[in-house]
Amino acid sequence: MTDERPRTISRRALLRGAGAAGAAAAANAVGVTAQPGPTPTPATVPTAAVTQPTGTMATRVVYEQLSADEAELLGAIADHLIPEDEHGPGAVAAGAVVYIDRALGGALSGSRDAYRGGLAAFERYCRSSRGAPFLELSRVDQISALIDVETGAATGAGSGFTGGSGAFFGMVRSHVLQGTFGDPYYGGNRNFIGWDLIKYPGVRTAVSPALQTALESGELEPNHRSAYDSDNFEKAIVRSVTLEMRHGD
Amino acid sequence: MPDNTMFSLRLMLKDRGTRRRLLLHCRCELSATRKRCRMMKGPSGELTLCIGLLLGLMGHQSVEAQPPVHRIHVESSAMRSGETMPRNFTPDGRNLSPPITWSDLPEGTREIAVVCSDFGAGNPPPWVHWIIYSIPATANGLPEGLPILSETAMPTELASAIQGLNGWRRPYYRGPAPPVGTPHIYHFTVYALDEPLGLGPGLDREDLLHAMDGHVIGQGDIVPIYERFGN
Repeated sequence: MTDERPRTISRRALLRGAGAAGAAAAANAVGVTAQPGPTPTPATVPTAAVTQPTGTMATRVVYEQLSADEAELLGAIADHLIPEDEHGPGAVAAGAVVYIDRALGGALSGSRDAYRGGLAAFERYCRSSRGAPFLELSRVDQISALIDVETGAATGAGSGFTGGSGAFFGMVRSHVLQGTFGDPYYGGNRNFIGWDLIKYPGVRTAVSPALQTALESGELEPNHRSAYDSDNFEKAIVRSVTLEMRHGD
Repeated sequence: MPDNTMFSLRLMLKDRGTRRRLLLHCRCELSATRKRCRMMKGPSGELTLCIGLLLGLMGHQSVEAQPPVHRIHVESSAMRSGETMPRNFTPDGRNLSPPITWSDLPEGTREIAVVCSDFGAGNPPPWVHWIIYSIPATANGLPEGLPILSETAMPTELASAIQGLNGWRRPYYRGPAPPVGTPHIYHFTVYALDEPLGLGPGLDREDLLHAMDGHVIGQGDIVPIYERFGN
């Protein structure tokens, strides 16, 4: 079996499932405590710093919730879910891992333990089944391991997934989609990579006949604006109160 | 009871641990029968259940294929009927497709298909782990580790072969993952067909069996078991 660049889920198939609704889904998931508040600031409680490969640039990312190892593993998983390919940059370049890291300190804080336990279980599973950590496996074995996690087959093999490996995979997949296609305000979809990927032209509060015609003919240029660049929308509080309080410690 | 089940039972009787495996096999068959009955049970109650039981006891022979007219000899360099599959052919290992070879194909074989089923799982049973069809009649087996990626080509001698959709609706092999402490039996069944069926990709087991109906001129299988331990 050759070890060519694999795909766990084809990008086209994934995008068919996500579609433009991904942005709305992300907004709903993260903005559940929506209320007026400040724009999130860069990381102020650094717990890990890694150099994150982003294709053409290497950016030093400071993670608040994830350890460096967790972030690296999560990035590798995200890279399989939405890889960089001929259609453009993927989830890693879009900042999906950063989005998840930030959200785990806020709206997704309830998933923190699921990530900690799930990523550790995934590593145990890879070592147990394939004899090496995920990052050291061949691409085909990485894909195979992810398929087993996705289908729930990694459960009960000594890995210790809580609630089944399929539940963990589903959670990660959902959050990677959110981080890739959600509004950039929430920390992902860096440089509107996700929206460009699905040719989402951006939020517009008024659409003229000319814009409508351009949209229908596929010629509408993306405006690359967050929904929260408009005064019509209120910003959500992304960070949890407890995290904000810790900033003063 | 289906012929291939009798075949596997005969093999089991030769091995140590016969009693345990026999009990296991009966348990799996009964479980499958119960599931078939539950699926068939309607508002009319017991009569429907009895019919379901009768059909269930007839087993999957009526669904799987017509009674084989020729027995194909199927074996593997990595596993044997009635014995535990190596973990590398399961998600407890690398989850590679196992190597299978066959011989004694009937005269007139024009195409071959292989299905791996677990009749002790699925709702209704069986749970399908693998199907591969449009295998040229010149092939004498399947090598270990057939591709799981669509962009990876099949081996040259199997260039025309197509992996259909398993129980997860995936076009590749996924090995046994029974619940912990519940051994299951896996039927790797080889079918010899009397003509090329010209099938396209994307068929599941039901589609394949329907397409093969009336064309099966030989059949054989290898029937290993697998059980998971720990959590």
